[in-house]
This record gives sequence, C-alpha cells and structure tokens, in this order.
Amino acid sequence: MIVILTLLSLFLGLACGLLNLDHTIISWISQNTDYILYLLMFSVGISVGMQHGIMTKIREFHFRIFIIPLGIVIGSILGGYICSVLLQLPTRYGTAIASGMGWYSLAGATISNLVNADLGSIAFMSNLMREIFTFILIPFLAIKLNSYTCIASAGATSEDTTLPMILKYTSEEVVVLSVLNGIICSFFVPILISIFLA
Amino acid sequence: MDTIIIMCIGIIVGRFLFTDRMKKGNEYISLTCTFLLIFAMGVMLGKKENFLQELSSLGLYSFLFFAIPTILSIIFVYMLTQRYLLNNKSNKKKELEK
Repeated sequence: MIVILTLLSLFLGLACGLLNLDHTIISWISQNTDYILYLLMFSVGISVGMQHGIMTKIREFHFRIFIIPLGIVIGSILGGYICSVLLQLPTRYGTAIASGMGWYSLAGATISNLVNADLGSIAFMSNLMREIFTFILIPFLAIKLNSYTCIASAGATSEDTTLPMILKYTSEEVVVLSVLNGIICSFFVPILISIFLA
Repeated sequence: MDTIIIMCIGIIVGRFLFTDRMKKGNEYISLTCTFLLIFAMGVMLGKKENFLQELSSLGLYSFLFFAIPTILSIIFVYMLTQRYLLNNKSNKKKELEK
C-alpha cells in the first residue's frame, strides 16, 4: 500500500511538473522542502528513540548483531563508490545513493533535497529496485549461500517489508537478527547520506 | 550535518517524551513528509527540459546502483557470517561433543 502511495506521489509530481501547473500549494511544497525534510528527520529520530529492548538484545547477542549490518554498510558504500567511478559521478554522490540500503523513500527525498532531483530519482529507483528484487532473491540466497545473506539483500527493509519473506525461508534466530539489522541500518541511512553530502 | 542534529534531537524526544500511544501519529507525520518530498521531487523532475529523453539513462544508472551495492553487500555478509557466525557455531558444537 505504501509503495503504491509513494509511486502515486511521484507520478502526481511528475504530471504537475510536465504540465507546468503552478498552484499555490504546489509552489509552497516546492519552496519549503528544507523544512519538510527537517520535520521528517525529526520524526525518524523519534521512531528510532522509541525502539525499546535493543540494548537488551545487544547484551544477549553481544557484538554478533553488528556483523550483518557491518557487511551491508561496507558492501553498499563500496558498491556506490564503484558505480560512481563507472558512471563518472562524484564519489560522494554515489556513496550517498548506495547508503539508502533499500530505504527508497527517505533516500530519494533526502538526496533530492540536498543535491538535485536527478540524483534523488536515481536514489529512489535504485533503492526501490533493491527492495523489490529482494523478494525474488531471498529463496535463492537461502538455498545457495546462507540465511544471513537474505538479510544482506534486504538492507534497511529487513525489519518490516521483507521480513515476512525472510521468515518464510529462514529460521527464528535469523528473523531476530533481521529485525535488529533493520533497526541498525535504518539508523545509519540518514546519518551516512548526510555525512557523504555534507 | 543539520539533518543529523535534528534526527538526534528526535531520538532524545522519542526516548524520553514519547509514549507508545503517540507512535501512530508519528508514523503519519513521517509518511506525509515522505509523500510531500517525493511529490516535490517529481515536480522538479517533470519541469526539467528533456526529462522524458533522459528517462532511459536514469533507469540504467538506477539499475547499476541497485545491482552492484546489493551484490557486494551479499558477498561481504556471506564472508563475515561464514567466518564469525557459522564457524563459531560449529566450534561450539565440537566442544560440546568432546
């Protein structure tokens, strides 16, 4: 449902832009994206702050819970760096896009506001593809590699959208790590994007 | 940097001032802001000259930015988990058998 609404927002915006519609509300939104982004970041921070029990889980699993997010972050940033070299983009743009780690709405919106709409749309589409293709990849990864690589593909989406699929093809232990990974990666997405685009 | 600072303020507010009842409201705010920003992104893209002609290159760039980071994430996680998670498990099993 949320994917549909997000795509609808994008297509509506595209239509307004292509038709050159200049309504007061459209102008207001376009001129105040900085403040809307600040409000979004504040709200994301509140969501992170409201996560209970993560410290208990860290004590239970020790530092093993950071192995998967570490691999995802390193792989994503390195991948973003390689893409920027191949496509002759500034490396900080490439690493920022890849730092979305599947969180297409936040990555697209943030990068669009901090850089430009072109990069924002690449961030949006690439991270959306990551989420969608993860649904297809999970069964193969679970069989051919190991269960933890399913979480790698999902990135920041492993705590919600792709979790049911991960649950179906792996074990309960992996599901717990998947949720924790999602929380940790989600925490780092806005931080990494902001650092690379500072 | 200011986005990180604002997010950190939000974390503190969420940790100490928000209750579970407010969670839904916060989610609506988050979603609304996201939709507005994506809409604004769409408006900016639509106003660009040659946007429709550039669509195919945007698609190719997006595919590469999906494929390469995802594949590398999978490789790194595979290597790390084989070494530190699955290897540890089999060592513990051997110790128990002894």
